Amino acid sequence: MAAPASAAPMRFRVKLFATYRELVGAKDVVWTADPGTTLGEFLDAFLGHHPRLATHRGTMMLAVNQTFADPSQVLHEDDEVALLPPVSGGAR
Amino acid sequence: MIEITRRRIDVGAVVASVRREDAGAIVLFLGSVRADSGVAALDYEAYGPMAQKVFAELVDRARSKFHVLDMSIVHRVGRVPVGGDSVAIACSAAHRREAFDACAWTMDEVKRVVPIWKSEPPHPKRRSR
Repeated sequence: MAAPASAAPMRFRVKLFATYRELVGAKDVVWTADPGTTLGEFLDAFLGHHPRLATHRGTMMLAVNQTFADPSQVLHEDDEVALLPPVSGGAR
Repeated sequence: MIEITRRRIDVGAVVASVRREDAGAIVLFLGSVRADSGVAALDYEAYGPMAQKVFAELVDRARSKFHVLDMSIVHRVGRVPVGGDSVAIACSAAHRREAFDACAWTMDEVKRVVPIWKSEPPHPKRRSR
């Protein structure tokens, strides 16, 4: 989504867990995007920077501020975005 | 009781947390690390704040869906040795059927939606001497 020319970019934190953390090589990344950017638009850009993670997109779960989120959700300054591998807790 | 802990799960405390005088049944589920070939332990990692939130939502849903009286979920993180408990779910209800059903449903949901991951620790290198 195009941002108004005058709008300052927003920053938010991206959290990575388990195999995703290993693929990216960091557990926390600060990302900058134009205001109005959706979760899906951010993900397109992020996976463009991390092609090894892109192969996991089909099974990736997304959360914003500790709540599962849809790619259409608009992000805001200081949001906490999390990219979650398929979960496997508990008993086998 | 909803807890994510690095320490050994105190099963007695989990059961005690759901015991009530109006409950005729308490069901306890324990998930333990199984001794599969070559496995000495499993490492568990959680997205703690979100896992706590999702556990609380599951307890609320179990309460309304199965009419359970109380429910506790404790999940261990960090390294859990074979035979150790990684998760405990205790559920109290007026009658056993609701308690069994709620416990089984909740464990299935934990496996499906709670952001906790497990992995096998790297095998220690053998020292030759």
